Amino acid sequence: MHHSRAIMRTLFGALAVLFAIWSLVVSVVSAAPFSQDVEPTQGASESAQEETPINLSIGDDTCLECHGQPGLTMELENGEVLDLFVPPQEHAGSVHGEKGYACVQCHTTVGDYPHTKFSALDQRDVTLQLNAVCQRCHPGEFELTQDSAHATAFNAGNHEAAVCSDCHTAHDVRRLTNPDTGELTPDARLWIPQTCARCHSAIYNKYLDSVHGATLIGTENTDVPTCIDCHGVHNIEDPTTAAFRLNSPQICANCHTNPEIMDKYGVSTNVLNTYVADFHGTSVVLFEPETPDAEINKPVCFDCHGVHEIAWVDDPIKGLHVRQNLLTRCQVCHPDATDNFPDAWLSHYIPSPDNNALVYYVDLFYKILIPVVIGGMAVLVSMDAGRTLLDRYRSRKVKEQVELVEDVKQPLPDQSKSGAEESEVEHE
Amino acid sequence: MNNLDSLPQASEKGKIKRETFIRFDILQRIEHIVMLTSFTILAVTGLPQRFPTSPLSASILRVFGGIESARQIHHISAIVLGTVSIIHVLDQMYRVSVLRIPITILPLIEDLKHLYQDILYFLGLRKHKAYYGRYNYAEKAEYLAVVWGILIMGLTGFFMWNPIATTSWLPGQFIPAAKAAHGGEAILAVLAVIVWHFYHVHLRHFNRSMFTGQITHQEMEEEHPAELAQIEIGETWHRPTGVDIQKRQRIFFPIALVLTLAAAFFLYKFVTIETTAITTVPKGETVAVFVPLTPTPRPTPSPSPTPVPKEGVLPESWKGNYEALFRNRCGGCHGITSVGGLTLATYPDALRGGDNGAAIIPGNPDASLLVQVQSVGNHPGQLTIEELNNVIEWIMAGAIEE
Repeated sequence: MHHSRAIMRTLFGALAVLFAIWSLVVSVVSAAPFSQDVEPTQGASESAQEETPINLSIGDDTCLECHGQPGLTMELENGEVLDLFVPPQEHAGSVHGEKGYACVQCHTTVGDYPHTKFSALDQRDVTLQLNAVCQRCHPGEFELTQDSAHATAFNAGNHEAAVCSDCHTAHDVRRLTNPDTGELTPDARLWIPQTCARCHSAIYNKYLDSVHGATLIGTENTDVPTCIDCHGVHNIEDPTTAAFRLNSPQICANCHTNPEIMDKYGVSTNVLNTYVADFHGTSVVLFEPETPDAEINKPVCFDCHGVHEIAWVDDPIKGLHVRQNLLTRCQVCHPDATDNFPDAWLSHYIPSPDNNALVYYVDLFYKILIPVVIGGMAVLVSMDAGRTLLDRYRSRKVKEQVELVEDVKQPLPDQSKSGAEESEVEHE
Repeated sequence: MNNLDSLPQASEKGKIKRETFIRFDILQRIEHIVMLTSFTILAVTGLPQRFPTSPLSASILRVFGGIESARQIHHISAIVLGTVSIIHVLDQMYRVSVLRIPITILPLIEDLKHLYQDILYFLGLRKHKAYYGRYNYAEKAEYLAVVWGILIMGLTGFFMWNPIATTSWLPGQFIPAAKAAHGGEAILAVLAVIVWHFYHVHLRHFNRSMFTGQITHQEMEEEHPAELAQIEIGETWHRPTGVDIQKRQRIFFPIALVLTLAAAFFLYKFVTIETTAITTVPKGETVAVFVPLTPTPRPTPSPSPTPVPKEGVLPESWKGNYEALFRNRCGGCHGITSVGGLTLATYPDALRGGDNGAAIIPGNPDASLLVQVQSVGNHPGQLTIEELNNVIEWIMAGAIEE
């Protein structure tokens, strides 16, 4: 008895420990967030410091005595010259500088002088070697990037694929989110396309001409999407997959069904439901949950509106409000389409007497016909059923009475037998 | 519909009394089974497309292997239903023109009278139902609904299946209108089958005659009393003589052949008239993905500021050149922080030197510690050979200050 209690206690203890570990793991795993609105992993930075104490006695001034002077360089293995000059205001003005992080907190191997020997194949190799330090304080974001198209390209051997400092820079790391709300600051939204343009300049130029890009760059209106609103931030998905394509209407719908944004510009919020009501959208909606990887020949938003070069609907060259432009678009997938064909698509309008009247009246016809016909049938059927049941009930009553009368009329030859018959009648 | 072919012939002045009667012949029963099968498949594969966002739709389509195969099954069923409809029409024509069976399925004024009488009966104002003939108004209504439904569904189905052919001679709006009608008609048909058909032939009384072909005397009494009375008094259809039939067949068969070929051609066209869309949508984005800005976005070494000598200052002097050179190259360690006691911040500091002695001895570069250390090489802040040669020459010349 005593023994078993002790065993139980141990077991419970072990379970509790296991549970604690499990909940820790779960909390860490579930903390791995979606690509946007990632909270910077602040807590992690403190724990990282605890693990590896850093000699904070080496202040930035010490480093800047050499590295704050232009002209300090170093030759790399391939002969490239690495600039070792860091403009002092660059780090001081960065989010790291504001928070008082010292050079040596990232450059952890150079605390001593002369520095530990450093060598790199080329400039890219320098970036890649130094970039590894970011995950010490930002493990969540780093994990996310491991699922990104950049990481995929990198792992496939393309060392030009972006790593942290390619987007955030090494020293001029700017604050992008409002620390209170976690939302991107308007300034940050303006910077994003420029950041991506460093490597994706051809796409950037298309974006510049689009309704979104021109609005963002031209009028500094940050209601429009920047690159990351569609592509995500750290775990940037490969946008050329069938899965991305099938899911893409949801991306557009994020803003285009939001009246808070659309009402300002008089843009319809019915674009998604009118798309889904049409053959194309119906197919995509039915495909997406079942076979998210299906290569289908039904268009999503960007197949008609364009990807990065999305034009104003009334743009004379590309706008889909211009009939000839719409027909041209239709003919991309329907090569035999003729002049009337574009009207088969309701252009995101909900049919009304003024717009697509035929469709409206066909709908109306069935909205009236179905209840009238089915209602009439239901009335007749329920009357029939009521009367049939009533008749059956009555005829049974009559039958029972007749049987009773007959029972009474008949002489009783055998007492016990008639008793049995009576009980049978009752049973019925 | 009117196969009284094998019904008991009213030979003995209609006094014959049989237990069962043949109500539907084998072809009619096959038509019904094919129709109910294709109708059900059409409804089950079609309605999820009418309600694409319903979770039930997704589950149903999963059974059919997804939307694409469900659509194929829907199309095949449509062709089956179309075929059985054409066979039915040809069969009807044969019955009417060759066998001269009277058409009893079409609604008459009498049916309205029956409906009125039944409503009175339902309300308790009449003792019994109307005396129906071979087909009552419920059956006639259903038959007409099927004819109407197949015409509408066939037409709108053609429009949706072949939108390019349709819009080459009709306004584009006909396609979404056809979609609206197709969906509305589908809902109407399915509800009508559930409310009307299921009630009358399954719920109220399970009527097997469409499957067995037979109907009992009692069922005839209850459901088709007027027809039974006609049979029993001998007022019924008589099979024409063999000669008559052969004579009419000679006219009917060629016409039927032409109609069959026309119908087959129509069905073939229905399926193949156009290729609506290409199978692979072209890529949305066509530009190259990785196009880095030129020059590469990486930092290029920042040049040392070129000192601009003041007036009256010799270029080859401390002020003219070497103050700046030493600040840039050596200032990190031998500036404010004087590593090894050496600072090269000012001219006197440089002459004084550090813990190991004077860094610069004017006129004697070999003895100058700066030259000695730099000549070995690999010093942090190493001067280039050219710079070092200049320094040596400057010291040789007396290391002038200005």
